[in-house]
Amino acid sequence: MTTIDSKGNVLGGHGHAGAHGHDESYLAPKNGLLSTVWDWMTTVDHKKIGVMYMVAILFMFFLGGVAALAVRVELFEPVRAVTNEAGEVVKDAAGNAIVQGQLFKAYNEAGDQDVSKSNKIYNHLFTLHGAIMVFMVIVPSVPASLGNFFLPLMVGAKDVAFPRLNLLSWYIYLFGSMFGVTSILLGGVDTGWTFYTPYSTTTDLGFHRVLLMVLSAFILGFSSILTGLNFVVTVHKLRAPGMGWFDMPLFVWAVYATSIIQVLATPVIGITLLLLSFERIFRVGIFDPALGGDPVLYQHFFWFYSHPVVYVMILPAMGIVSEIIPVHARKPMFGYRAIAFASLGIAGVAFLVWGHHMFASMGEVATMVFSALTFLVAIPTAVKVFNWVATLYKGSIAITPPMLYALFFLFLFSIGGLTGLPLATLSTDLHLHDTYFVVAHFHYVMMGGTIIAFVGGLHHWWSKMFGREYNHFWAKVGAWLVFIGFNVTFFTQFILGTRGMPRRYASYVDDFQFLHQISTVGSFIILLGFLTHLFVFIQSLVGGRKAHPNPWGGLTLEWETSSPPITHNFHHEPVVRHGPYDFDDNYPPQCDPKDYPLPAKPVGATAHVVRH
Amino acid sequence: MATLAQTTVEQWLFRKTDATDLVAPTDQIFMLILWVSVFSFILLMSLMIYFVVVYRRRPGVAIERSSSHNTPLEIAWTVLPTIVLVVMFFDGFWVYIQQAIAPGDAIQMNLTAKKWAWGIEYPKGTVSTEATNEAVMAADSKGRTPFTYPIYYMPANTAVKLKMNSQDVMHSFYIPDFRIKFDVMPNRYTSIWFKANEPSGGKTLPVTHPSLPGVEFEDHWVFCAEYCGEQHSEMAAIIRVVPAAAYDRWAAANVMDMAGDPITIGSKLYMAKGCNACHSVDGGKNVGPSWKDLYGEEQEFADGTKVIADDNYLRESILVPAAKIVKGYPNQMPSYQGQLSDKELSSIIAYIQSLSAHAPAPAAAPADGQPTDGQPTEGKPADPAATPAAPAAAPAK
Repeated sequence: MTTIDSKGNVLGGHGHAGAHGHDESYLAPKNGLLSTVWDWMTTVDHKKIGVMYMVAILFMFFLGGVAALAVRVELFEPVRAVTNEAGEVVKDAAGNAIVQGQLFKAYNEAGDQDVSKSNKIYNHLFTLHGAIMVFMVIVPSVPASLGNFFLPLMVGAKDVAFPRLNLLSWYIYLFGSMFGVTSILLGGVDTGWTFYTPYSTTTDLGFHRVLLMVLSAFILGFSSILTGLNFVVTVHKLRAPGMGWFDMPLFVWAVYATSIIQVLATPVIGITLLLLSFERIFRVGIFDPALGGDPVLYQHFFWFYSHPVVYVMILPAMGIVSEIIPVHARKPMFGYRAIAFASLGIAGVAFLVWGHHMFASMGEVATMVFSALTFLVAIPTAVKVFNWVATLYKGSIAITPPMLYALFFLFLFSIGGLTGLPLATLSTDLHLHDTYFVVAHFHYVMMGGTIIAFVGGLHHWWSKMFGREYNHFWAKVGAWLVFIGFNVTFFTQFILGTRGMPRRYASYVDDFQFLHQISTVGSFIILLGFLTHLFVFIQSLVGGRKAHPNPWGGLTLEWETSSPPITHNFHHEPVVRHGPYDFDDNYPPQCDPKDYPLPAKPVGATAHVVRH
Repeated sequence: MATLAQTTVEQWLFRKTDATDLVAPTDQIFMLILWVSVFSFILLMSLMIYFVVVYRRRPGVAIERSSSHNTPLEIAWTVLPTIVLVVMFFDGFWVYIQQAIAPGDAIQMNLTAKKWAWGIEYPKGTVSTEATNEAVMAADSKGRTPFTYPIYYMPANTAVKLKMNSQDVMHSFYIPDFRIKFDVMPNRYTSIWFKANEPSGGKTLPVTHPSLPGVEFEDHWVFCAEYCGEQHSEMAAIIRVVPAAAYDRWAAANVMDMAGDPITIGSKLYMAKGCNACHSVDGGKNVGPSWKDLYGEEQEFADGTKVIADDNYLRESILVPAAKIVKGYPNQMPSYQGQLSDKELSSIIAYIQSLSAHAPAPAAAPADGQPTDGQPTEGKPADPAATPAAPAAAPAK
């Protein structure tokens, strides 16, 4: 038995003389508001840093989401002059034509409506949406918030390997985000989040908002690298006694694989963005052919980073799902090693497939090689999905809010993965590349995958983080709204794509209007869902009941401490005696064994390894 | 039954399935992937839902022990998808090679892209001066239509290869009906080819059409698929497929007569070189200043200086557009250095002059500045969807 009773083991001594409060919750306020604020600002506690990241990321998610809604509203109607049956333009009393479909009305000096300026506002908004969601939300979302909070807890450590470096990463993230927000406040950029040259080196030359945005991404990269480094060392060096590599929870495996990609790939985007800045400032010809540069070089550099980063976004999400499913199905993870190796396999292949973003700009041989390599990624990804579904077999499945999210993840991520196939296939990609099909595909992966798993993870660990329960009924209502709204919004975009609607269009030909309107309606259902979640969480913080330290009956180490955890995480050093998902042979810590009956041992067989 | 479902889904997903001979093979691969995906997805989700229902939690009841790995099963579900993926890859590659490599007998044309217009140079000096002004994607508040889309005639049943180049940023030439696209880059040639099928759908050009009265045609949208700035979504054109014999007649009738009247030549170049994408000739404000009443008018620049627009100012603005930026307009125009002969340049200037009330009437032109000869001057179209209009010839009403 590994149950650790927190009440019985309140021993503060690990050589930390002097300061008291080790056994207090990490959330316990200091004397006075100012010293509490100062304590949070200077904290090296991974849990506080994780919570601060979470708040910042959720705020950025809100900003990016508002931009997305504005984009959807603009696309509700194409920009048109209203015409009558005879095809003549309808005019108002002042003799001006009536123009529909412009949410963002802009006027030129003569006071005429200026379509070109309105388009510019649209272009700023989708760039804002993309840049914020990618660089400030999805990339840091799971690793920096939940990863920071739970990785040390799950390996049984007191903190990450380099706590001060962790605080530095947080400030670098803040600093980088400030550059981005400044750029937006100064008027924003219209390059798309990909900053493709030579457009990005020739637009907005007088103002350098593009430069600010690029520097923002550059600085945020360092935050990623340092966090990744910290996690790699933590996993290697700070695992609790008894925890071998294959006793690590799969979330730790996933964050570990992610960290390796971050450390290896992020410097490339750093160099690329620096070169881009040099080209803009000093007019050195690197990417812009007008200055003697190569027109496609930037895309190679950019995707050499940004493709691996797609896996930085999705791997931790897969890690969360790999935690939620076994705990809420109370079943050992099916094919644990296959999932762990699949994470590493995906991380490896991730570096070899950047060219599939450029099938329409490379020669036949290169496209063939990249197409073949791209299909390789599909295999470990498919294996993971099969394993998750197989884990449900003969389980004891509770449809809790986190489990609901995990099932939604399986649904949405499967669609996201399968729709990657026609994009990896050369002849079909020639048609679908840069259309709404791609937009729908990566939203199914990035939002249907990463964001859904992130929100699922929040529900899974919320009570551990804040020590409060939340309302399950309303959390599930929110989850259903997000799920339904998501499908309404993005499934229609697959059809827009196959019918030939190019992406990043401020307006479009009439054929596409009906599908765009459905999509816009869906986006507001998503909004409703997230607002429901917001109220559920606020209600929990304000008036939630005190949570049980192990409400789901999890076996991993974070469930052995109190909720919220104490400053030094554990009351005494945890020792690992069983695998993370050995539900068949272990009672969960801090729980009543009566609630968690073990399956009968098969006669004459030791089917399951119990480590002692 | 299966074929019916296939056809229904296909028609729902794709706008057109027979524009070229390579459309069907591409769509077939898509449909193959689609049915494989639908099958796997339904299988996975049914299992998931089945397990969730059958193995739902019953408080206090212990579950049955089950294996947490199964090597044969795991090998099977790794190898089987791999085989399917290999098939998809080869299928896709096989059709792609046919899409990518043009047949040797293809007619070659040049395509230039710039913000925000497509321009096609036909062989033997043929130019297209037609544009549509219906299917208008945007209009300004005065009801003018700043975005007109050039119409490019193409022969049916004939392979056409476009050698593509961009004058400024990356663009991508995309014809959804043909299922092809390829990036158009500055300082590097790329190419794309297609062989359109005979026009279907029964639309015919109006009898007033100058060179092809009553000929059957079919239009296909060209979109820009690589984000290129403000009017990315208005950077469109129309590929109008006509029977090969009709195309030959059209090409012969639209050869630019460089020995003719400079104003006429200029008005054709206005369309052929894509000037119309940014400059109106009816006073409407667009990306660039209108050419109407430009010549001889005082221009105020962004730096506050002023100049009367004369021949030399116009020449400089075409060859070195960034030298003087008219107040209130962006520095957006690409240089035409090396793309226009001196004859073409002076013809365009003559055309601009002819549009101005302030300009002294050039000797060779009629006094009211209306170009006359060689212009497609069809009247009000009977069928608006089928009618080309030439703003150069028929400016604002």
